[in-house]
Amino acid sequence: MPIKVALRRITETQYRHTIADVFGPEIKINARFELEKREERLLAIGSAQLSLTSSGFEQYFALASSISDQALGEKQRTASVPCRPANPNQADDACARQFIERYGELLFRRPLTESETLARLKTASMGAKQSGDFYAGLKLALTSLLVAPEFLFRVETAEPDPANRWQYRLDAYTKAARVSFLLWDSAPDHELLAAARSGAIHTEAGLKQQITRLTSSPHFEDGVRAFFMDMVQLDGFENLVKDPSIYPKFNQKVAESAREQTLKTVIDLLVHKKRDYREIFISNETFINRPLASVYRVPFASAFSSSSSGDWIPYSFPQSSERSGILTEVSFLSLFAHPGSSSPTRRGIKVHEIFMCEPTPDPPANVDFSRVQATNKGTIRSRLLDHMNNPGCSGCHRRTDPPGLALEHFDGLGEMRTMENGSKIDVSADLYGAKFEGAQGLGKFLHDDPRVPACLVSNVYAYGVGRKPDYQDEDYLSDQTKAFAGNGYRLPDLMMQIASSSQFFKVAVPGAVKRASSTSSSASSSTLSSTQAASTTPLQKMRRSLK
Amino acid sequence: MSFPFSRRSFLRGMLNGAAVCVALPVINQFLDGKGTAFADGTKLPVRFGTYFWGLGLTDTPTGGTRWVPSKTGFGYEIMPELESLKSVKDKVSVFSGFRAIGDGRPNLVHWSGHASILSGVAPGQTGRFDAPSFDSVIADAIGTSTRFKVLDIDASTSRQPVSYSTREGVTFATPETTPLALYQRLFGAGFQDPNSDNWKPDPSIMLRQSVLSAIKDQREVLMAASGKDDRVKLDQYFTSVREMENQLAIQLQKPEHCEACVVPTAPKETPRAATVDAVRANARALAKLLAMGLACNQTRVFNFVHTAGVSETYLAGESKIYHQITHDEPTDAKLGYQPETSKLAGMVMEAFGDFLMELDSVKEGAGTVLDNSLIMAFSDTGYAKIHSIENIPMFLAGRAGGRHKSGQHIHTTGESVTRVSLTAQHLVGAPVGEFGSGSMKTARPLTEVIA
Repeated sequence: MPIKVALRRITETQYRHTIADVFGPEIKINARFELEKREERLLAIGSAQLSLTSSGFEQYFALASSISDQALGEKQRTASVPCRPANPNQADDACARQFIERYGELLFRRPLTESETLARLKTASMGAKQSGDFYAGLKLALTSLLVAPEFLFRVETAEPDPANRWQYRLDAYTKAARVSFLLWDSAPDHELLAAARSGAIHTEAGLKQQITRLTSSPHFEDGVRAFFMDMVQLDGFENLVKDPSIYPKFNQKVAESAREQTLKTVIDLLVHKKRDYREIFISNETFINRPLASVYRVPFASAFSSSSSGDWIPYSFPQSSERSGILTEVSFLSLFAHPGSSSPTRRGIKVHEIFMCEPTPDPPANVDFSRVQATNKGTIRSRLLDHMNNPGCSGCHRRTDPPGLALEHFDGLGEMRTMENGSKIDVSADLYGAKFEGAQGLGKFLHDDPRVPACLVSNVYAYGVGRKPDYQDEDYLSDQTKAFAGNGYRLPDLMMQIASSSQFFKVAVPGAVKRASSTSSSASSSTLSSTQAASTTPLQKMRRSLK
Repeated sequence: MSFPFSRRSFLRGMLNGAAVCVALPVINQFLDGKGTAFADGTKLPVRFGTYFWGLGLTDTPTGGTRWVPSKTGFGYEIMPELESLKSVKDKVSVFSGFRAIGDGRPNLVHWSGHASILSGVAPGQTGRFDAPSFDSVIADAIGTSTRFKVLDIDASTSRQPVSYSTREGVTFATPETTPLALYQRLFGAGFQDPNSDNWKPDPSIMLRQSVLSAIKDQREVLMAASGKDDRVKLDQYFTSVREMENQLAIQLQKPEHCEACVVPTAPKETPRAATVDAVRANARALAKLLAMGLACNQTRVFNFVHTAGVSETYLAGESKIYHQITHDEPTDAKLGYQPETSKLAGMVMEAFGDFLMELDSVKEGAGTVLDNSLIMAFSDTGYAKIHSIENIPMFLAGRAGGRHKSGQHIHTTGESVTRVSLTAQHLVGAPVGEFGSGSMKTARPLTEVIA
């Protein structure tokens, strides 16, 4: 009997990519998506824990109607519907069935069951009869597919493993979806679904063939972009605000451009040029556009002689700019700062968290910061010294602050400076006994630190499987990290390597699976147990009552 | 005591046939024994909302209080940080000395305080509640007859939009953050003017209902063979589907006439800004729309966030944000408090004053929307400098249709914040006997403020 092992809400980009792939890129998606939530550094892990609120459902419902109206509008319907109704003013079950089965499979990422099809056929037929329009009925059926939990959540399913009857394996369609969402940030296409249908995806050769096909496609860029957006936490840009009286150059165009710059840089280096992952910390190769040129103080008359404002041109940071690597781009520098100042602590925490997978605990609740004082005197280093010397704070601040202090030649927007309040800014840093100087020194430090590639490997895996790696994954991750080094730290190779490993499809049976055919819950082993405190909370009671 | 006619026909008679869509101030004899419902069992149509702001108010260990009045009971004096409440003071009760009690669980900074107030349980993890937020219990009790069961709003304009409303402790509501978005949700597509003379049911709504029935058919299949946590998530999902169905069903009914409802015009799009002044202006514009949304009977329950726990608002030109200032600013030895922090706290409370005045400016029956509402306002901390969860400032505002004996200052020394939460639930007629767990479990509302 198959069991469901995970329910992962699809993200905004996965939703957008799927709709574009299934109905074409011209479909407009204008909606407020449910908030995503970062857990264990990744939205991908959070999305496996989230449900859908009623206001969220209301939004998805309106969006689904709008997509159906567009996909089945007068112009689009010839392309969208694989058949013609006998009479466009009446229901036509045969044609509706073709449509529902075709799009149902693409949206649910598996063939529909007969009862799922029948439910939509009923909707289509009733709608057609009431409105006297076959397509109006079809719109309702499509809307019902688009708001179904099987579309809005990735329902991961496992089945008894034919090779080992005591174990489960992910079923073929779940495997296909894992591969597709990792590499394309989208649902499986017809070919991948066919590989699932035939069972080819369960064979080494069949899986490899699909992975090679997916990584050679232009869509692979979408997959890498989505992964980096999540890992580097670039989702924060929609809501970024800066004090215009302190950073007059900041505006929404700058914010959007900053995010795009980092993504373009990463895609170019790691996907197009297939370079060593660690070069993202030291490379001076990037792209700029007009809005960014002003922040980087690049005279755009010369750089942009023939391009319009939205255009990007390749650009190399000169040595004098002190910039190299993505940590010195406006995105990272402005995102991890305050509205009116830089924040070495925040930047340092994020360097550790994002690139070295080292979390920083919350500060103690009763800490007294009183000695950290006025911002109108000296540099921030002198103000932070108190943290480093205060025994309650120093444990973390000695670790978090140095990378941030090395980036202090860039203000809260990311503009270059060497002085603060009339004092020269010292950008020397000392981290884990390593001494380095400034942003370029920090980039070099990260380039050489073995935690950095290991962290990327762990992130790619966690992102793909939608859960935090545990101790059982340690040997696997360590092997993958060695293989990553062996491949010259090439990201496409790493993603292929992980997607083709059996560990990527490992089944973690969730706690208390309710078997469809039995009332006993003792049969399931539990490798993922919830970490609840011993006391019984109302929510636990609620959960228990749902068992 | 029983009545031979329904509450509605009673009101209609009283108003010579002109029914209003909310209750007039309630006279006790019409209530049942508990005072939570009319004698015929109909719930009181009172509105309920939460109002949250980050970083508490100033009440220092050295005794420099800027918000706790010295007088208790009616006629408390206005303290400096509550200056903005002056004009609506008689409709606001102040609660001081209440605390969140962790029972050994750590004080999770900028989280434990409001998680305790809303869920009744000290949380085990930042970002999660261990029980539903109680606004959802109230929404189940009083929010099912309006188009929106509950509306979530965040005025803060910073980082990720915030709501502290949750049914299962993990997924929190996605709030409206701009006046334009709130306007479109309330008065855009799907809005039916309750005062329109030519109302007709929209036939497309029935077709949309059929979309949802196809989904509900699959519920059992999905729930089967799913893990426990996933079943909780699916249950939440299907609750959302049911609420959408309810929304559609309501739209098929002729809306009741609402004398106070005047459909507003669409607001303009505003630039994103997070200064204290910008957040205040944003909050006020949102409050104005919300007040009319209530008067037009679009919702009866809301959650309003002014700024999140870690508030990122700031004074224009000041390089430090409010949150940093609360921690960094030294306590002035002479004054006994942090002057800059206190000034900012007062400014943040100005938005709360505006909020109440917006609700009070919409006349309804013999009173105002505020008179027919209950708003529980609170913060994440008491004294923010040390992340204290003692003496978290809490307020109950609005007369709750006459149930709230407002205008009092209630002071305790270290009682659980959940007593105020329970009081709020009683005041709006939620069927709740006790609230909270561990040391915060209580069955004792603050009866002083209940009529």
